[in-house]
Amino acid sequence: METDFNNILIFGTNIKTENDRQIISKLLNSNPEIEQWNIDLEDIDSVLRIESKSLNASQIIKMITEQDFKCSELTE
Amino acid sequence: MLRYTKTMRTRDSNKEEIVKQKAIELLVEKGIEGFSMNRLAKESKISVATLYIYYSDKDDLVRKIGIEIGKNFFDEMAKDFSPAMSFREGLYKQWENRIYFTQNKQLEAACWELLTHSSYGESILEESLQEFKIIMGSFFKNAIDKKELVSVSKEVFWSIAYGPLYSLLRFERDGKNFRGGPFKLNQKTTDEAFELVLKALTP
Repeated sequence: METDFNNILIFGTNIKTENDRQIISKLLNSNPEIEQWNIDLEDIDSVLRIESKSLNASQIIKMITEQDFKCSELTE
Repeated sequence: MLRYTKTMRTRDSNKEEIVKQKAIELLVEKGIEGFSMNRLAKESKISVATLYIYYSDKDDLVRKIGIEIGKNFFDEMAKDFSPAMSFREGLYKQWENRIYFTQNKQLEAACWELLTHSSYGESILEESLQEFKIIMGSFFKNAIDKKELVSVSKEVFWSIAYGPLYSLLRFERDGKNFRGGPFKLNQKTTDEAFELVLKALTP
């Protein structure tokens, strides 16, 4: 299935450990506006990738930083 | 307060092709462990963000690259080949197709070798092999029915049918024979080895 590129948001974070991942998992899994997400813990930037039709970058940043993680949108 | 607007993104197939090509080069050069998304973005001269728009993570990328090479590989193998061919003719075509792929798509061939023998192998093959497996299965069965091929397991068949060819291709890749002299796989050597393989597999 082809993903619509326009619904993808990319962030750099400091989410590093499995424990960190658990914390944001709860948050992101329970949000019905997020269709799909994943985080690449292997990457230097711990890239967080979100697919959502309705949310924008600032809303995601707010959600993540409220959990005391750093989060900034990576620009193209 | 910063305002975020959604920019319209379009698929840039040119950029995607560069990313695929660079990914194959990096995988062959660094291996799967040493491969990183950041490095790939740099080498492809695109941002990390763009790369993650194409692929969700390293696993996703390696798998997709593998499946694509696999599909190309098996398309090449099926070229001008039919399961209705005689065993001699069909196996010779397989040799020709394999020689062509190894000699003309060296990077893809090296990457394919690497990925199919990794933990990604199973899922990559599952996606890419399907059609060709059916074609080869029917070729194999026809050959046994026509008594042109001894009844052996698929593993023994593969080892004898292609093992000698891949050994010769390795000599060619290294460019050296046993005495350190130059080696080039020519028609005469190919045919000589092929006849011996055929002799071994014929009832």
